[in-house]
Amino acid sequence: MSIIQAKDVKKWFGDFQALKGISMEVAEGEVLVICGPSGSGKSTFIRCINRLEQHQEGQIVVDGTELTNDLKNIETIRSEVGMVFQSFNLFPHITVLQNVTLAPIWVRKKSRSESEEKAMELLERMGIPEQANKYPGQLSGGQQQRVAIARALAMEPKIMLFDEPTSALDPEMIKEVLDAMKVLAEDGMTMIVVTHEMGFAKEVADRVMLFDDGQMVEENTPELFFDKPKHERTKLFLSQIL
Amino acid sequence: MVDTIKKNIKAVQENLFSSVGSSILTIVTSYLVLNFFRGMFGFVMTSDKDWLSVLNNMQLYMVQAYPEDDFIRVWLSVGLTFVFAGLSIGLWRSEDRSNVSVMFDRLFKAGLGLLFFTIVAPTYTSYMGNDGFVITEEVFSSSSRLRILIPTLVITVGFFILKNLKINFSYNNSDAVFFYLFIPVALIWVVKLPTIQLDQNRERIIPDPLMPIANSTKIPWTIIFVSFLVSYFIGMYLKDKKRVKNVMSISWFLLPLLIFSWIFKKPQIDMGEVLTGDIPIFVIFFALGLATVLLINNPIFKKYFSLYLGVLAVLTIGGLFIGIPMLGKVCLLLLSLFTVVVPAVSTSKEGKRSLIIIWFVALVTLTFLLRGGASETGIVVPGSSIFGGFSLTWLLAIFGTYVSFPLGVLLALGRNSKLPIVRIVCTGIIELVRSVPYITWLFFASVTLAVFLPAGVEFNLIIRVLMVTAFFSGAYFAENIRGGLQSIPKGQYEAADAIGMSPFQKTGLIILPQALRAVIPTLVSSAITAFKDSSLVTIIGLFDFLTIGKTVIDNQSIPVNFVGHQRENLIFVAIVYWIFTFTLSRRSMKVEKRLGLGER
Repeated sequence: MSIIQAKDVKKWFGDFQALKGISMEVAEGEVLVICGPSGSGKSTFIRCINRLEQHQEGQIVVDGTELTNDLKNIETIRSEVGMVFQSFNLFPHITVLQNVTLAPIWVRKKSRSESEEKAMELLERMGIPEQANKYPGQLSGGQQQRVAIARALAMEPKIMLFDEPTSALDPEMIKEVLDAMKVLAEDGMTMIVVTHEMGFAKEVADRVMLFDDGQMVEENTPELFFDKPKHERTKLFLSQIL
Repeated sequence: MVDTIKKNIKAVQENLFSSVGSSILTIVTSYLVLNFFRGMFGFVMTSDKDWLSVLNNMQLYMVQAYPEDDFIRVWLSVGLTFVFAGLSIGLWRSEDRSNVSVMFDRLFKAGLGLLFFTIVAPTYTSYMGNDGFVITEEVFSSSSRLRILIPTLVITVGFFILKNLKINFSYNNSDAVFFYLFIPVALIWVVKLPTIQLDQNRERIIPDPLMPIANSTKIPWTIIFVSFLVSYFIGMYLKDKKRVKNVMSISWFLLPLLIFSWIFKKPQIDMGEVLTGDIPIFVIFFALGLATVLLINNPIFKKYFSLYLGVLAVLTIGGLFIGIPMLGKVCLLLLSLFTVVVPAVSTSKEGKRSLIIIWFVALVTLTFLLRGGASETGIVVPGSSIFGGFSLTWLLAIFGTYVSFPLGVLLALGRNSKLPIVRIVCTGIIELVRSVPYITWLFFASVTLAVFLPAGVEFNLIIRVLMVTAFFSGAYFAENIRGGLQSIPKGQYEAADAIGMSPFQKTGLIILPQALRAVIPTLVSSAITAFKDSSLVTIIGLFDFLTIGKTVIDNQSIPVNFVGHQRENLIFVAIVYWIFTFTLSRRSMKVEKRLGLGER
């Protein structure tokens, strides 16, 4: 049973068509890596999945709920789908712990003590429990990104979306974030990851997709994707980044 | 200690005399500064300045013509404010401690200031006499200079030594507030100055007897100080009690309203009307609100909820045209608004409970204000307005900020709204209010506003001015806050969306706190501007603090003669304005520093 179904999704920014009919399915527990050159629409697509961008044509169904303009549906889906951004987007005016407990307390209406307990558990899983009472500005980039992952997990989502989670990080910090994501994948989380980290894709992904010019060019298992790509475009892309 | 002195001498050498050019600059500047202060001290001390014109008119400065019989209201208001302040300091008592050397350092600096004055003050000054000749007189004889200089020097050096002894004793920063407040209260009792006294025939007794500075008010001030102290301990005792802090915050919000009505009105309440009108209306509306909250999850009630809301809306509008008491009309409007909010908030048990509490408090406040406010004013004041002097200035500043700040937040949010009607209305209000000078708005308040109000509705001039002021500074606040809103990166909105927050939560928890933090300096400068601009109300015939000093005292002739003593009063007024605005800006810097912790 697939948890995300997208059918012929199209999206325009003014005259520019960013998505030219994307159809795909993601099964529960699957780790999907999307790569492609910049401007290929991969970020736009995953931002459509929790309605940060609005698609104009086609259909996206997440966990049995279709994304429409109905605010109720959007709120339901957003609480099921966690998102991690390229630029972390932590809330700078509150502590790390408050960042993580904010959504459970206000959106899920849980008690403070329960949320804090859960938050500390998540921070421990991310390997940064000692940073709980600092402010985001006092943390390194890698730590901030792990807080962002913990913040998304605090809502107990069924699906996690990662929008280039390591692109804004220094090389030595990339590994700590990728390790945290690996732990998540091993625990059976459904994940869609937009990234250029091919090592991560090879090791963790169940499927790899290549986007180019608003279309999905190739979809394959990681072994076949890297060793025997079907399309010329994929070969060109791989030769450029590997 | 020798090291400290050496270090200071070295710092002076490096900073002030590092080259020939800088040495010359240092000497020239210090000559100019010294001469400026010499001139100023001389000006203050010449015998043609009558500082009694300031000292003797403190009551006028504070409350102008407010009747003496009702002074107890003023004292109670001041006292209540201090009690609240004491409670709050106790509740939010900081755990920060300072070493005692910090306090010695402050006292040392104060001593240095006094020393500077004693050394720099000129011995002879000259001024233009009434007959046109320049009169030179001795204002500060060498013997009196020595008399002040020696003890001051001893005290200053003493504090300098104490400061550098590295005494290992620290005190709580909150506790220190009381020490610093104790100094002026003690001074009121100890320091004596010549005071104007009148005999039975209302003639001035000459020479002026020496009296404590605040002879007639030293007892109230002392009582206030003591109750401040007591409430501080009560606050400390209540510190760990649940919800006390919330109650305190709400009380601060209601305090200005209470004080305003307290000083403004001396309600003569008809108990019959209260029993037959107010209490039944209160009970009915409280019951309706309570029922709505309790029944909200009932399926039958849910089914007819929109119908109920429609009926309420019709009743609210219809109520305006039929002869029910004012309280009923306002309660209907409030109930409609309340009912709209109920389904969104009462999802949890806690939400329901706080809704009921809010509803109760709102109704009580409203009943109280409408009954008290609609009654005849029992306070009779000669002249046009009940407020005057510093109480008017303070009222305009505090009340203006208090009303206009939330208004500004709403206008700023409205201007950024996606809904076109809200945006257009808010932009319209801001642009209209900002494009017209404040003085024009004041004239509008005093002359034109009555025309725009429904027939039969009349407001006191002060209330009209307050309304205009609220809108005027609200528009400025709105533009400042809008600047803050625009400084929030798009990612913050997206992150809030992505964790499923509703638009209200997003604005209230993520966007506004950051936006307001970003614009604290401009907000404070707006508040300071509002404080100073309040002196413009003199144009429409209100007697604010400045007007008292500039015009009123200058015209006092019998039995005291203060004609021609405008300059002393203007200096005094300027110093008071400076003290308040400077304190405000220093406090805001501290707040900024504390909030800056989380900055990126």
